[in-house]
Amino acid sequence: MTGRFYKALGVVLVLYSLIYGLLTTVPDLPIIEQSIRNLFYHVSMWFAMVAMMAGSFGNAIGFLRGDNLLKDTRSVSLAETGMLFAFLGLFTGMMWAKFTWGAWWTNDPKLNGSAITILIYLAYFVLRNGIEEPRKKARISAVYNIFAFVMMIVFIGILPRMTDSLHPGNGGNPGFNSYDLDNRLRLVFYPAVIGWILIGTWIAALRYRIKNLSK
Amino acid sequence: MSKIGPLIQRYAKQELRNSNAIFSLGLYLIGITYLIYLLGGQNAADSTWNTLLWIVIFFGAINQASRSFEFESGNYFFYYQTVAGPKETIIAKLIYNSLYMLLLSGIAWALFTLFYGNAVYNPLVFAAGLALGCVGFSAILTLANGIAERSGGNATLSSILAIPLTIPVLKIVSAINIQAMVGASLDEVYEMIGSLFALDLAIGLLAYLLFPYLWQD
Repeated sequence: MTGRFYKALGVVLVLYSLIYGLLTTVPDLPIIEQSIRNLFYHVSMWFAMVAMMAGSFGNAIGFLRGDNLLKDTRSVSLAETGMLFAFLGLFTGMMWAKFTWGAWWTNDPKLNGSAITILIYLAYFVLRNGIEEPRKKARISAVYNIFAFVMMIVFIGILPRMTDSLHPGNGGNPGFNSYDLDNRLRLVFYPAVIGWILIGTWIAALRYRIKNLSK
Repeated sequence: MSKIGPLIQRYAKQELRNSNAIFSLGLYLIGITYLIYLLGGQNAADSTWNTLLWIVIFFGAINQASRSFEFESGNYFFYYQTVAGPKETIIAKLIYNSLYMLLLSGIAWALFTLFYGNAVYNPLVFAAGLALGCVGFSAILTLANGIAERSGGNATLSSILAIPLTIPVLKIVSAINIQAMVGASLDEVYEMIGSLFALDLAIGLLAYLLFPYLWQD
């Protein structure tokens, strides 16, 4: 029953954020204007990605501690789902950047961070494909996964804070703090994040089951 | 822990015995620096100078690190396992590779100064950034090479694994170095140096904790 409950909750929250995100009124700010609604669709992708990668990291640690191959399968399923969210986050961000900053890609610390994160996890999949023996594959890729996750957190969580970013709320941009406090946005943004994390968990659970069945 | 010293000595001996590798690394450094000189590197602006220096160091380090576990491959792996445990091995490797890379980057810096003139106003800060950068960089390369080696390794895999991971370190180092080139004092960059030091510690600790899982069969 709990399984059904979280899936239903995920669907409801995502549908709510998709629909109500377009209907709700938003603060009227210069430059960003109506595109502020991308907060619901773009930023929630990154939150979901970090949640998936964190799950993958946790399962990698679990594998190293307990030598249980199911944890390895779970870890890779979550990492794959995280990659899906990373690409979605990248595309929604690029669309937004084209209309707000005038370019598809800029040399912004957050953009670099996300591009590098994608490279790191692509390297993880390359590494996995290169090893035949399942236990060895699981152990070596768990080591890389743990290392990669910590570096990713440094990259997307710490580095952008040290430099100016074009992103709203960073540097000299129209203050995001004023919208952070805006309850109208919060009312859609938080449910969107939770909803997408639940949907991500569902996708990862399906991939996990398919992988186990195809063995 | 008493085995770390002898292990480092052994790595150094192996490196010296393999004089061809050292010779080719030296030739690479001189050749690439001179090539950049011929292509107009002497007129480079500060940020370009710094970028070129790091590219030279980067490929030199990748080349050196790709041979890092050469002697532990195949049957020698079992021999080394009987000689020392994984914790001693990784500490010895980290120290040895850091020293090697410090030497390499020092030579690259000297060659750059020789050919293009001194572009650095505050050598102390520059050296601090370079040294901390080398330590973090070589720790990442060491772990990536260990992973590539244990996975039945080819040299390309270790670069694929290492390059994206090294970027946080490189970003901070190049920020420090550019500050040093325009003459910033230690007080102005201590925050960045502190965060680089913390990052190095974190990388080293992760390598130390994770390596034992690689070092088994």
